[in-house]
Amino acid sequence: MSKRQDERAKELRERLNNELQRMSLDMCVKCTICETSCPVAPVTPLFSGPKFVGPQAERFRDGESVDHSVDYCSSCGTCSVVCPQGVHVAELNSLARAVMKAEQGVPVRDQLITQTVLMGKAMTPVAPIANAVLDNKLARIAMEKIVGVHRDAPMPTARTQSLHSWLKKRPARTKPATRGSVVYFHGCAGGYFEVDAAKKAIEVLEHIGYDVIVPEQGCCGLAEQSNGLFEKASASVRKLDEQLRSAGTDLPIVSTAGSCTGMLKHEAHEILGIHDPELLDVGTRIREISEFLMELYEADELPTDFRPINMRLPYHAPCQVKSQGMGTPAYDLLRLIPGLEVIDSNVTCCGIAGTYGLKKEKYEIAQAVGKPLFDMIKDTNEGLAACDTETCRWQIEKSSGVTTVHPIVLIHQAYGLGDGE
Amino acid sequence: MRDAVVIGAGLAGLTAALRLARAGRSVTLVTKGPGGCQLSQGTVDILGYTPDRVTRPLEAVAAVDQSHPYSGIGADRVAESVSWLRDELGPELLVGDPAGNFHLPTAVGALRPTALAQPGMVAGDAVGGRTYAVVGVRQLKDFPADLVAGNLARSKAPDGGSLGATVAWVDLPARRGEADPTSLTYARAMDDEAFAAKFARAVAAVAGEGDVVALPAVLGVRRLGVWRQVRDVLGREVCEIPLPPPSVPGLRLYEALLGMVRAAGVRFIQGNRIVGFTPGDGGIESVTLAAAGGARHLKAASFIFAPGGFESGALDVDSHGRISEPVFGLPLTADDAAPLIPSVFWGPHELFEVGVRTDDAGRPVDGSGAAVHDNLFVAGGIIAGAERWREKSGDGVAVATAYRAADQITGGAR
Repeated sequence: MSKRQDERAKELRERLNNELQRMSLDMCVKCTICETSCPVAPVTPLFSGPKFVGPQAERFRDGESVDHSVDYCSSCGTCSVVCPQGVHVAELNSLARAVMKAEQGVPVRDQLITQTVLMGKAMTPVAPIANAVLDNKLARIAMEKIVGVHRDAPMPTARTQSLHSWLKKRPARTKPATRGSVVYFHGCAGGYFEVDAAKKAIEVLEHIGYDVIVPEQGCCGLAEQSNGLFEKASASVRKLDEQLRSAGTDLPIVSTAGSCTGMLKHEAHEILGIHDPELLDVGTRIREISEFLMELYEADELPTDFRPINMRLPYHAPCQVKSQGMGTPAYDLLRLIPGLEVIDSNVTCCGIAGTYGLKKEKYEIAQAVGKPLFDMIKDTNEGLAACDTETCRWQIEKSSGVTTVHPIVLIHQAYGLGDGE
Repeated sequence: MRDAVVIGAGLAGLTAALRLARAGRSVTLVTKGPGGCQLSQGTVDILGYTPDRVTRPLEAVAAVDQSHPYSGIGADRVAESVSWLRDELGPELLVGDPAGNFHLPTAVGALRPTALAQPGMVAGDAVGGRTYAVVGVRQLKDFPADLVAGNLARSKAPDGGSLGATVAWVDLPARRGEADPTSLTYARAMDDEAFAAKFARAVAAVAGEGDVVALPAVLGVRRLGVWRQVRDVLGREVCEIPLPPPSVPGLRLYEALLGMVRAAGVRFIQGNRIVGFTPGDGGIESVTLAAAGGARHLKAASFIFAPGGFESGALDVDSHGRISEPVFGLPLTADDAAPLIPSVFWGPHELFEVGVRTDDAGRPVDGSGAAVHDNLFVAGGIIAGAERWREKSGDGVAVATAYRAADQITGGAR
């Protein structure tokens, strides 16, 4: 181990010991509730469960390197959500993993797959070629052998136009804003891969009377964080804070990137240990878009003149949206559309958990985690499913064969805003 | 604005939310964890000891003293609420009659009185002359079959008759390479029909003499009726015996109830605590949720507070022995824990009787008997007056007080 690695590991261990361990370890009463809710432990004995590798194993990590099975945790965060005693199980395990990675080094693969903006920037100008390569079986086998990304793992589809180039060419809006401004955070996927959902989100917000400001924005660093690359993740999230704050420091920030919203609200603070006032400011102003719209609804301020959509729609609430402790606002919102029969998956996680399910050694586990979800979607869909986060949508689409969209796409349709193209 | 916010997703919170939703009310159910169902036996106790063993729980409910949570409710209303819950869940999950207790074997071979039980458990009801063929699973450390059989064989049934028991073991891993599965891992394997069939054949090969084959309660968690499949292979009645947490029968109840609540249109918010409230004109205007990214204020016309007691942190004892209820600062029946902690572990623990006093509507009251807030109701373990785990009344108190609170809000009360 190099001296630099050694120092980094020491620093992380210090945080693990002092910030998290002391604060929450002794609150664990060993009730096993986290064990029963973990989506990974039921499908593989390689992960012994959040209590075993977390509050239990932590007591034995006295200077020794951590248990390898912690790397089989997918970072879905469910254990912390369900813990009735407030133990930070997921945060403990994320930090323990980061210590392990700092001591042992991070595979090149894990460093590559976290570069989401780079991927988007590189692929958008050559979208047809990039998509052809990712659809090519031989190329994918080579990618698996060389990089360790499973040959069947879902990959995003590159678009020929990024959100920002659409925004530049777009005619000025004619309907005046009646409710003031909001800042829109689209995330890497909204900027490059899921441009359609991002456009529709902007149109919905404008339709209900907001002026939408879309600052230049980079990646939140969540993928780097869940791969134990804490320094890079911290730099990414700090830069993003600055970008989002550049549009105004008292405006609501509305986001269609469900898990990135959680990064800004709590994960960067609790897992990376960033306590900057800038992060706390962004974290308290940001709302996931369905959460934002449901807050308007509860205050009787949301127009609900929705046109009927007569269909049955399976909906999956992602783990990293549920971990924000706001319930499942998209499910509640979609049920306001007349004719739409929304069926909640009631499944904890789709398996992908950001980049977990891309990795060749974890692909099968991720597929097993998501299987009840894929089956449920296959059984109930009428051509469409909905889910709030990008990689989950790609995972669901790939594994169920059912087109999966952001919930805002249906709200856009129900407001009669056309196809947005 | 919602008609009601229910705080807590234990048996009380889920019952209250379901009852309100069935009456057409808009409800938000907000909870930190998934409540206590999966730490319970998956049965509904009404009253088991007073301190003598109770066989007719409603008669015992009618005779409780004035400080007991049941006293303002009455036996008829307790029977009505518990029967309502049983009928909502249906006979694949709960059977029995609130008027009479079953006496079911526990994981240490004691007999436990309870009013409603799951259908795969009730063949174990201890009546004189009954014999049990106890079968343990080597991979499950929480079911000491020798102890269960030994204790049953030396016990008397409540009717005075004797009981008999034999013991045998099967060795059948739920999944390869795992030395120490939880009961839930085992139960999930049973959700697969082929594994359950293999398990049943292994049990059939070793089970000793006995009318009823007594098995650890791991017969499926999502797939109900696995006990029937096993019974048909054995050609004998079976009874499931609940294990320490994670409780598979408790999870069955929790998942069924939460599924019904959500299907009935209740908003469900899990993962963070309610930490305070904002007063308004007619009582409480909103409660404060400590969500990721800051406080969220949940407004409603009425609130049902069903957070549990000491075990969930809803009642707090600090290092000076001061007892408090941190969310609403409700008046409690005692504020000093020191004199209430006995020197004998087995003795009555008066501390566990501490909680909130209510009026007949289920609203917390102050020392003078006046309601603290007009639109705040309490249900379940936060209510004072019973050491639930000792007298086996926690489930019945939860259901009856939740039902009372919900009906008070909808105007459906007596």
